[in-house]
Amino acid sequence: MTAAAPVGPRFTRWVTLLYLGYLAAPIVLLFVGSFGQLWLNTLLPTGFTGRWYAEVTADPSFRRAFASSLTVAGLTVLLCLVVGLPLAYAVFRADRPGVRALARVIYQLPVALPALVLAFGFIRVFSSDALPWLGSIWLLVAGHLVLGLPYFLQAVVADMQRLDLRLLETAAESLGASGWQRFFQIVLPSLRHSILAGLIVVAALSIGEFQFSNLVAGFLNRTYPVVLLQAFYGATGFACAATVVLLVLALAASVAGAVATGGAMRPAGAH
Amino acid sequence: MDRPAVALEGLSFSYPGGAAGVADVDLAIRAGEMLVCIGPSGCGKTTLLRLVAGFLKPHAGRVAIAGRDVTGADARSRQCGIVFQSYALFPHMSVRDNVAYPLRVRGVPASGRAARAAKMLDLVGLAALADRLPAALSGGQQQRVALARALVFEPAALLLDEPLSALDAATRVAMRDEIRRVQRERNIATLLITHDQDEALSLADRIAVMRDGRIVQVGTPQAIYDHPASGFVATFVGRANVIEATASGPDRVDTPLGTLATPPHGLALGAAMSILVRPERVEPAADGGGGDNLIEVAIEQDKFFGATRALVAKAGNGRLAIETASREAVRRVRIPRDAIQFLDGKRKET
Repeated sequence: MTAAAPVGPRFTRWVTLLYLGYLAAPIVLLFVGSFGQLWLNTLLPTGFTGRWYAEVTADPSFRRAFASSLTVAGLTVLLCLVVGLPLAYAVFRADRPGVRALARVIYQLPVALPALVLAFGFIRVFSSDALPWLGSIWLLVAGHLVLGLPYFLQAVVADMQRLDLRLLETAAESLGASGWQRFFQIVLPSLRHSILAGLIVVAALSIGEFQFSNLVAGFLNRTYPVVLLQAFYGATGFACAATVVLLVLALAASVAGAVATGGAMRPAGAH
Repeated sequence: MDRPAVALEGLSFSYPGGAAGVADVDLAIRAGEMLVCIGPSGCGKTTLLRLVAGFLKPHAGRVAIAGRDVTGADARSRQCGIVFQSYALFPHMSVRDNVAYPLRVRGVPASGRAARAAKMLDLVGLAALADRLPAALSGGQQQRVALARALVFEPAALLLDEPLSALDAATRVAMRDEIRRVQRERNIATLLITHDQDEALSLADRIAVMRDGRIVQVGTPQAIYDHPASGFVATFVGRANVIEATASGPDRVDTPLGTLATPPHGLALGAAMSILVRPERVEPAADGGGGDNLIEVAIEQDKFFGATRALVAKAGNGRLAIETASREAVRRVRIPRDAIQFLDGKRKET
């Protein structure tokens, strides 16, 4: 049997190009707008200036939000590693397939649930007198952890299955390795690509997250997307410049993610 | 006899589901011996290997390795080199680091590790590939790495779990010889698990045939093949005609094929028994002429294998499998008297 010719190569090429244009247009326009002096009812802005970037970087609330976002993302990633890795391992090593399936449903739940629901829950629980923690940065981190963990677990558990980690551990045990040796010499290094890829996704999610942060963040630790919303009430150029900052972060994360995932997808163990 | 390298006494294990355990296994692997455990899937042979390795704990019985009772010991302290069916090489380590790993966890200094790993890689013929990652090796090469890694720490015994089943046919035969050569060279007591009779017959010093969690016969390949203890062993190791027969004289039986002259069977007239005739012992006979055990046959199947032909023929009211090098048409065969063996299922051989 010969392989079938691809269906309508020209058609698929056009769909791809159209979609890429559709994806890129707003980004390009934002970028153009961030350097435009005046942008009212025209297709493109008029004049060229770098002042919007200067204003954004000088704005204390944006500076604070930027720092806040990085702090929250950093803490979320750290917590994700500490909590997520043992969780992934527990899910992977669960003896009963039913337990594994149930665990998967539970940890995938936050993907399907709007972040809004989580935020309402947090507000309900943490505005009480017993747990008056609304507005603390840790609550923000805790929320982002819940939102990001599914993606981390998905990446790492899938990699554990692909590598047949259980067998690798059995082999290491038979060769004389202790539990700690197995963890640090076999488990961690063989999973390093998927762990990295998972953490980058979590960081990207945390940096871009709006729904939850907007409702739960305290005034002093508002994250960048939350503050960004305010920019749209001011000058268009300023709003564009402020958004481009977030775009660059997102782009950096997705490039890093792609590189790390590329490593994880290569035949087991390639550098 | 010397103290066995591995001794199993009354070993029993059953899984919670009740399937594929082992029951009351007594087995000894002598120093330097290659013992091949063979049986159909689900017969408990892999369970047996896991019990020796220490991945499972028996519900009854004892495991001793190098004279030391290790029944309660974990896999780590048993000092068994294990080669897994899918090799289980560490994907993030080079071939050299894989082989040196058992030495690393034992705290051997880096220089000593490198030297010993290099020596093992030399032995399996992979010295040139020491810097590769496992993913860059062929199946046979990965198998050699796994073998080197299992032997580098001078284990008390070598355990091989279906080591050749993941290889293609040509590599399999080459690896078979390779495993045998390395095993001989290291002179290490070895338990090899397989479901492949060719592998068992060509590799083993002794074969243990398993069925339903029990060992049904232990013996040299030739003893197992020539004197199988039961119809099961006869048909599982090699091709076999197992024929129901009734004694009709001291050296004569009635069978669906007709009356056959046999060696003396010592059974009373009318006693039922099973007899065994290997297909390659059935001889095509020329037309005409007389003698014992001449049977007219009608060929139903004729498969050509180059060196031999495998025939299935209708004979009397039964069927007969025949293996012959002859290219001629076969209308008549002779079963030599000494090609007939009696199976009673109770005989035990060592």
